Amino acid sequence: MIEFKEVSTVYEDAFVALHGVSFSVAPGEFVSIVGPAGAGKSTLLRLLTRELTPTDGTVSIDGVDLGGIPDDDVPILRRKVGTVFQDFKLLSNRTAFENVAFALEVVGAPTDKIRDDVPKALEIVGLNEKHGNFPHQLSGGEKQRLAIARALIHRPRIILADEPTGNLDMMNSHDVIQLLLKINKLGTTVLLVTHNREIVNLINRRVLTMETGKIIRDQVENGKYIL
Amino acid sequence: MGKERFKRVFKAGWTNFRRNTYVTFGTTGVMSLVLILFLGLIAVNFLGSVFVQNLESKVDVRLYLTNEATDTDVRAIQSELQTLNSVKFVDYVSRDQALAEFKERHANDALIQQSLAELPDNPLQAWLNIKATDTSQYASIVGFLEANRLRGVIDKINYYDNEVVIQRIQGIATAVQNWGMILTLALAVIAVLVAFNTIRLTIYNQKQEIEIQRLVGASNWFIRAPYMIEGATYGIFATGIALIVFFAALQFASPKVAVLMPDVSLLGYFAGNAFQIVLLTLFAGIALGVTSSYVAIRRFLSV
Repeated sequence: MIEFKEVSTVYEDAFVALHGVSFSVAPGEFVSIVGPAGAGKSTLLRLLTRELTPTDGTVSIDGVDLGGIPDDDVPILRRKVGTVFQDFKLLSNRTAFENVAFALEVVGAPTDKIRDDVPKALEIVGLNEKHGNFPHQLSGGEKQRLAIARALIHRPRIILADEPTGNLDMMNSHDVIQLLLKINKLGTTVLLVTHNREIVNLINRRVLTMETGKIIRDQVENGKYIL
Repeated sequence: MGKERFKRVFKAGWTNFRRNTYVTFGTTGVMSLVLILFLGLIAVNFLGSVFVQNLESKVDVRLYLTNEATDTDVRAIQSELQTLNSVKFVDYVSRDQALAEFKERHANDALIQQSLAELPDNPLQAWLNIKATDTSQYASIVGFLEANRLRGVIDKINYYDNEVVIQRIQGIATAVQNWGMILTLALAVIAVLVAFNTIRLTIYNQKQEIEIQRLVGASNWFIRAPYMIEGATYGIFATGIALIVFFAALQFASPKVAVLMPDVSLLGYFAGNAFQIVLLTLFAGIALGVTSSYVAIRRFLSV
């Protein structure tokens, strides 16, 4: 489903973020990507949303080379991938309902569908009571759960989570991970970038360990956080 | 689907306008000031043109005819003059009319009335009063008359007495028009830049929101359109505020202008053209808001 072939990424300041990275992810997998800061973990995710294109090599989803997608079609790719970030990236002047609805509006979903689906997604993340709250009226954990609701509302086949527990306490982190596991159980492929040792060990799935732009370890089953 | 999308874009634009209270207040305020400046420029241009018209209306050329000039001669000169594009109109005043007007003008002066009564004949000449379409045309009209076959029945052309004054008035009128145009253009450019930069800052403040929308998969038009609606909404509200403030200021300024220029009613001009003024201001406000938003957002829409 997801395939990185000999991918290298060099930033404008000549920093080499990735160096000949190759790996693939099968549909329905839950992959944790770990490593120290600057190892290239977030760069991997940014390549999958076409925020970046590789300097060398190819990144593909379902056999489609993302580097070959015309700029005008990038939004279509992004609608197929749900993203969750450490800083939540919520629209500050929209309510919880509107934030989730926005992801459906961009795909042109009818109003009836939005009216039906958004409360369900909010219920899954436990925020149905706070549908009218603005992001600044929510706690960190609630904000991240809202971001997850937005990421899963259009039923993407892939969810990319970049340090989703980075700003959360242990209890909220646990809730967020349980949600991601639940989504994965329904068949969605999840790529989770994290620093959190306890979380990775708790998940106990495939773990990719990165260092200085390379994958130094790929534990396909029962992976642990080892640095 | 298209209608639904259109509705969503409008709703999103209106929501942005309504919920970003401080930004909305500031941007609408600046846009209002810019539109008030536009209206002020219209007023200044109007006063300038009235001033120029008043000056130019004081200028004409009078053609005194000899007493031997027949009606046929007068009609011939008059019709030849009227064929010229540079001539606005030609009025004929006969000797009798000239005398009657003179008597009327000096009706209270017994000495003049007595002197006229003692004269054996009408001492006044008939004349043709020539008004040009433009003050710069008088020289060529006079040139035409000097070369005319009926030059013999023309006794005197007063252009030569007033030539310097006419040229000076023409110079002042041209200067007022040219400088008025330059000042208007300069201020209009400054106003547009101020409005543009204000909206640019407003959108810059929302660059994170734009980035989020891009990451969620919104197309460029889906992101851009609500900001353009928001820009148009700033323009509409700013138009309302600017018109209220400007017309209130006119109530105050119009009588003061009337003291300096008694024939001019500034308020009357704007009230008489209220529909056009409102439309023009609204168009300027919306165009400024929409265009500024469109241009400002472009840099944040890179893939």
